[in-house]
Amino acid sequence: MADFRRPDAEFAAYDEAFDRDGSVRPLYAAIVDRFSNFDAAELRRREGIIEEEFRRQGITFTVYGDSQGTERTWPMDLFPRLITAAEWREIERGLAQRVTALNRFLADVYTGEGAAMADGVVPAWLVQSSDGFERNAFGISVPHDAHCVIAGIDLVRDAQGQYRVLEDNLRNPSGISYVIENRAAMTRAFPLVWEDHTVEPVSQYGRMLRTALESVAPAGSGDKPLIVILTPGIYNSAYFEHAFLAREMGVELVEGPDLVVDEHVVYLRTIEGLVPVDVIYRRIDDTFLDPVSFRPDSTLGVPGLLGAIRAGTVTVANAVGNGVADDKAIHPYVTDLIRYYLGEEPILGNVETYVMWEPDQRAAAFERLDELVIKPVGESGGYGIVIGRDATEEELANARAEIEADPRNWVVQEVVELSTLASMCDDVLEPRHLDLRPFVITGERTQVFPGGLTRVAMRKGSLIVNSSQGGGSKDTWVLAPGTNSGAAELAGEPSMDAAGQESAR
Amino acid sequence: MRLDIAYRLHFQYDASVSESQNEIRVRPRDDRRQQVLSYRLTTTPATRVLQTRDYFGTTVDHLGVRGPHRELLVVAESSVETAPIEGDPQSVSCERLADVDFVNAHVEYMAPSQHVQWGDLINEVATWAVRSAPDDVCARVLAIVQAVPTVLTYERGSTSIGVTLEELVDGGGGVCQDFAHLAVGMLRCVGIPARYVSGYLFAVDETRPEGNGADGVAPAAVSVQTHAWIEAAVPGFGWYGLDPTNGGAVGERHVVIGHGRDYNDVAPVRGVFHGAAEAEVDAEVIIAQPTAPASMVTEPIRRRSNVAVAPPTAAVADHQQAAQQQQQ
Repeated sequence: MADFRRPDAEFAAYDEAFDRDGSVRPLYAAIVDRFSNFDAAELRRREGIIEEEFRRQGITFTVYGDSQGTERTWPMDLFPRLITAAEWREIERGLAQRVTALNRFLADVYTGEGAAMADGVVPAWLVQSSDGFERNAFGISVPHDAHCVIAGIDLVRDAQGQYRVLEDNLRNPSGISYVIENRAAMTRAFPLVWEDHTVEPVSQYGRMLRTALESVAPAGSGDKPLIVILTPGIYNSAYFEHAFLAREMGVELVEGPDLVVDEHVVYLRTIEGLVPVDVIYRRIDDTFLDPVSFRPDSTLGVPGLLGAIRAGTVTVANAVGNGVADDKAIHPYVTDLIRYYLGEEPILGNVETYVMWEPDQRAAAFERLDELVIKPVGESGGYGIVIGRDATEEELANARAEIEADPRNWVVQEVVELSTLASMCDDVLEPRHLDLRPFVITGERTQVFPGGLTRVAMRKGSLIVNSSQGGGSKDTWVLAPGTNSGAAELAGEPSMDAAGQESAR
Repeated sequence: MRLDIAYRLHFQYDASVSESQNEIRVRPRDDRRQQVLSYRLTTTPATRVLQTRDYFGTTVDHLGVRGPHRELLVVAESSVETAPIEGDPQSVSCERLADVDFVNAHVEYMAPSQHVQWGDLINEVATWAVRSAPDDVCARVLAIVQAVPTVLTYERGSTSIGVTLEELVDGGGGVCQDFAHLAVGMLRCVGIPARYVSGYLFAVDETRPEGNGADGVAPAAVSVQTHAWIEAAVPGFGWYGLDPTNGGAVGERHVVIGHGRDYNDVAPVRGVFHGAAEAEVDAEVIIAQPTAPASMVTEPIRRRSNVAVAPPTAAVADHQQAAQQQQQ
């Protein structure tokens, strides 16, 4: 029998599967029951199936700067994360609302009057001093204001189980391919779990993204716009995903030299000659896009691309300059941006954040820095974060000095006791912290892809879930409406037979 | 003052190149002080030119040539009417520089930028420059602008883009863009917002380094330049233009193309080409003053551009490091 270790009673975090007194929450009753019927050896065998599945397909993730080699098989934990239909509906509304406001903000900054700045919702100087504020994007308008065609919003659940937004990823959010591959691996390892659960499918992603990309094609592209994915190449950590998405969408995967600009039109070089390109889903950073306008040493991009975008002959997604809206220094203002642009109360709140350029907030944060999380605004992927309670006196003193020297570069957040969920550690299923990155797609309208990437910190007690920091992942199930979303009716119904068949397979 | 300006840019490659793409920023801007009467840009070989305006308000001509070529000629002709500057700023206490609203309004021009980074050395030089200036922003600005030529000697062709301010001071020589970058850096490090201005100078003063009648030109003749100078933000006044290379005032002989945080934001030419070739780029400015008395202008004077133009970059082989950029 697999052993589920219950969360410690005095543990502050919300556990997804077990309540405070250690009993299974109804949502997880059926799946906990099913897993309880496997012994440790059986779970390890299935873990092997998952790992083999990823290895065979070459699904890897790259960890830069690791002496053990950079290429890792994608780590997926075998115990899934479940979300009820009702809960998901709220998340979905909250995400669509947030991304709509962020797109409005980007349009305001780059092609509008700068109304939010003029009205004091966000300080203009903060925008102007953002590394993500791309002056080369000024004046470039995007069809439907879809600056973020694809956004990845990182959600965490606090001690009360409330979902809160930790970070917005609006430039090149990665991870969607893993959502789809996790589901495939889960199905292979546990073909019969679907008997107890009706789960929203994830296979439609390629179609959804393709439709959105088609809808942002420039006017006059015709009804079958040519879409390409622009990758930096095989050395990039997410190259697997770039290739995966090209296959899912049925579009060409290209590198910079495959494209050429002639009189402000982008063409794909093919054996039949040059074919005009309508939409470029780029997975390279802004500053590499075009060596004429950006870094002259970049060979990853396409010379003249910015001119073509300005001429309106091609759309680049995500748009240039989105980094200003996912700057961690802008994050504390996003809830106000929702109120400002949409006249609505935010459905999803932020994690409480202190901005270091406001003297009062800085003083308040400095008094209890050892209880807070210190984040540099310019980094992503979990690099450079100091967690107050784990830091030495010296580390905290350094952080204080660095903040005082350059307050614009730091935010300080309340610790969120990320929720936990049973994860396979050695031979037991132990609670581990996790977050959730749903993907939000904007074309003519904004839609949320069901579920998302659940990332899990595989080290006990760790709150750092980033894949680039060695975190794992989980298959994430959004239960279909009207099905066993409560799952209470299944709680007492052992699926012994099914489980037995499965293990005999 | 009416000025006719021709900016002539000639790319020559020692072997055939297959593609070149460029952004050109040479059109004078329209503002309170100067009015562009006409502007025309032509290329050989002919290509479609896209004209846009950038974040800083500068006009950009985007142009590219695809297909094998060994040279590309770009000629931009402008006619502009300039007016004299309307007076200097009043005396204003340096305390005003710390006003939150003033600081917030000028944040872009106070921080280090690509070509304007400073450390202890520049700090020291700037502090020294303002050591005896009274508590007046204008006096400090002037003190810094006038200190620059004491730190740097004008040396034609003595530097190229990519030299740091510290290296510049160590080297002791430079051209107008170096003078401008150093002034901008020194101003920023004493808390005065400053920006880099790119333009043309129609200089007649033969005692100044950029109008001294070199190249066999008779000293009485009208001399012409592409040029760089600076503007400092003065509380209660606005942008105060000064020319560090020529030790002082900016007037109706200065024609503004545009401004930015440094050279990078207003470089006259940015470009790349594909092909195994060495590139040589010549920039030449011809300015005439059509309404001037005949004794002053007999014929337009030609002179090489004084602002160093970075040769276009050849695209090189793929690079693993660059490919490893962060994915979110």
